[in-house]
Amino acid sequence: MKFKDLLGLSISNLKRRKLRTFLTVLGVIIGTASIIVMVSLGIGQSELQMELISASSSLTTVSVYGGSSGMYYSGSSQSGQSEEPLYITDEVMEQFASLPHVTGASPMLNYYVIAKQGAYENNFNLVGVSHEYMENIPLGEGSVPKAGDKQLSLIYGNMIQRDFSNAKTGEGYWSTGEEPDVDLVNRPVFIIFDPDRYYQSQNQNQSAQDMTGAESGETVQPVTPPKKYIIPTAGIVEGGPEDWNQYSYSVYCDVDALKSQLKTVFRKDPIPGQPTNKKGKPLSYFVYDQAEVYVDDMDNVKEVQDMITSMGFQAMSNVEWVESSQKQMQAQQAVLGGIGAVSLLVAAIGIANTMMMSIYERTKEIGVMKVLGCDMDNIRDMFLLESGFIGLMGGVLGVLCSYLISRIINALYLRQQMQEAAMYGTVMGDISRIPLWLVGIALVFAVLVGMLAGFFPAKRAMKLSALSAIRNE
Amino acid sequence: MKGKRIIEVRDLYKIYQVGSNRVHALNGVSFDIYKGEFVAVVGTSGSGKSTLLNMLAGLEPPTKGTIQIAGKRIDRMNERQLVAFRRNNVGFIFQSYNLLNTMNGIENVAMPLMFRGVPKAKREKQAAKYMKLMNVLDQAKHMPNQMSGGQQQRIGIARAMVVEPKIIFADEPTGNLDSHTTMDVLHLMQRLVREQQQTLVMVTHDNTLASYADKQIRIVDGKIVSLEYGERGLEIEGEDAEAEKQLSLGAGAQQPQQEEGEPETASRERKEQGVSENE
Ligand SMILES: Nc1ncnc2c1ncn2[C@@H]1O[C@H](COP(=O)(O)OP(=O)(O)OP(=O)(O)O)[C@@H](O)[C@H]1O
Ligand SMILES: [Mg+2]
Repeated sequence: MKFKDLLGLSISNLKRRKLRTFLTVLGVIIGTASIIVMVSLGIGQSELQMELISASSSLTTVSVYGGSSGMYYSGSSQSGQSEEPLYITDEVMEQFASLPHVTGASPMLNYYVIAKQGAYENNFNLVGVSHEYMENIPLGEGSVPKAGDKQLSLIYGNMIQRDFSNAKTGEGYWSTGEEPDVDLVNRPVFIIFDPDRYYQSQNQNQSAQDMTGAESGETVQPVTPPKKYIIPTAGIVEGGPEDWNQYSYSVYCDVDALKSQLKTVFRKDPIPGQPTNKKGKPLSYFVYDQAEVYVDDMDNVKEVQDMITSMGFQAMSNVEWVESSQKQMQAQQAVLGGIGAVSLLVAAIGIANTMMMSIYERTKEIGVMKVLGCDMDNIRDMFLLESGFIGLMGGVLGVLCSYLISRIINALYLRQQMQEAAMYGTVMGDISRIPLWLVGIALVFAVLVGMLAGFFPAKRAMKLSALSAIRNE
Repeated sequence: MKGKRIIEVRDLYKIYQVGSNRVHALNGVSFDIYKGEFVAVVGTSGSGKSTLLNMLAGLEPPTKGTIQIAGKRIDRMNERQLVAFRRNNVGFIFQSYNLLNTMNGIENVAMPLMFRGVPKAKREKQAAKYMKLMNVLDQAKHMPNQMSGGQQQRIGIARAMVVEPKIIFADEPTGNLDSHTTMDVLHLMQRLVREQQQTLVMVTHDNTLASYADKQIRIVDGKIVSLEYGERGLEIEGEDAEAEKQLSLGAGAQQPQQEEGEPETASRERKEQGVSENE
């Protein structure tokens, strides 16, 4: 018997009991849609998580911290230098950059400063980074300072401006709700590179005022307030004052420019935050408290991280986080998929039931066909095709339904996200994602379930006696 | 013009177990059917005619005995082989028509060709030819429930004929038709079978109908009680006709009150007889 004819027979059989066919197909639709939607939620969640991780920091970046004291020994030097702390210096940076799989490395020189403009002031960390690092910062205004530019210029995070507060009253946006009268781009910003001395001089003025009425016998060594420098603004990080990203609260500058600036500010004096040798003298070189090492591929991150750790530094990356969260997500996906699979199982029982009914109804017909010489395998295939067809129709319609449901879920999720984003600032994205492979698998699965459910009924039909055709019930 | 034997039945028994009762539907039947013959199996209701026909068509296995059709022992075939055998050699006409309700007239007629894998255009052409012969071509696009009983039966006959089978089995083909239509259908079948040298085995309880056959096998209580030849039957079987009578009646006549325990020996005797007579 030709396949085309078999197919025709199957379809005409499905057509003659339209309502029953529809109800059975409906079962498969629900089953397929629930599997797809459930799995799409699992996928969406894990991809969102990954996006969150990669938005907060790169997945191919290893963060390195200096060995804090003699606790960390350099792997190579087991000589007597063990008391000397393991510093991240320019020399070490070169070593990092020459490691296999490493595409680049940037030191991070954190330097605490105070910024002033008019009545407003703010304090934050200046982060001296490499030129490459700065080039990866998305800018809303301005541009990255040229490589090798000796003049220090700053890239402000997009949330810095609102963070300025009135120096006298201490009030800021957080308490008054008013934007501070600060313009980082068009008006000059004064930077104080020696906050300690600044605060000391402030306090001294205060106490001097306090003591005017009282006895002022002791002469306190007067502290002169540190010099303020006008540092030009190179740019502002992309985004409004409420769009959070990993650069929002920091201020970046070229590490070499920062170093030369600090040298001109402090000359021979020790630079705050920089370590001294045993005699308390400043070192002849800069020490970075942190560095970032960039790896060519996520798969090599662990290896690079281990190498840096064996050099004696503390190295951190998102690999463990990613791995553990992926494991967790996989478990979650399995549970979600399982829930969907249960409904497809129920649909399979529905198909089996429909096929059995259909066979009882058609006992005589099957008998007639056998008497007229229809091959037993053809009879079996006819029923298998029927149940497979139910599976296919349910699968296709189920896929369409799941796209619809997925859209609705995403729309609802977006609304909720908007509210959350206004409060904390999160990564936006769809929570339900249907990749093409999921559609393919779901379709194949639906047809398979249909045929599997129809398998035993079909075998039964095949074995029905031809005599039943002649006997009148 | 002498024909060859196409169906050889030897010592056929069918015993149904109904509760503790044993029903002897067929009680030792032996006969031959020759190629091109129109054979009627006649008998009263419950005599075992349908049982015999079903076994000849391989729809039911015999309890004992052998059936050989076109040189093949169909009592030894499994179901798969039987289906294939029917597909290639047998047409079947049902008493209750048994058309498929989901198909129209021409599709019903073409169905056995579909089982053989004949493409649609070709099989419908063939089907139309036989529908025309049966005078029901106007019913080609009608569904079975839009046809009269007589029309349905003609469709049923066309369906049996369409594959041009060696043998056609018909169980009370005219049972539900009025006498005029019955005669019509009977003549048509007779004509077709004669034209194409096919073998027709028809079961009926109607003696008048049976008299149109070339050979009548009369059954009472599962046994053959007489063989009657028409003119054409004698022509086909020739001098074998007497031997056939011996085969079918002789043994039965010798041991009319055969006991259940003994058919073994009896059947062997008959087989030997059969062999010698066939020379
Ligand atoms: N499946 C069965 N189980 C038990 N007994 C059966 C079965 N089929 C037939 N019989 C019995 O076998 C005997 C012969 O039945 P069969 O159907 O061959 O009669 P028939 O000659 O065709 O009668 P009719 O002219 O009424 O069709 C009957 O007594 C019947 O009761
Ligand atoms: Mg009968």
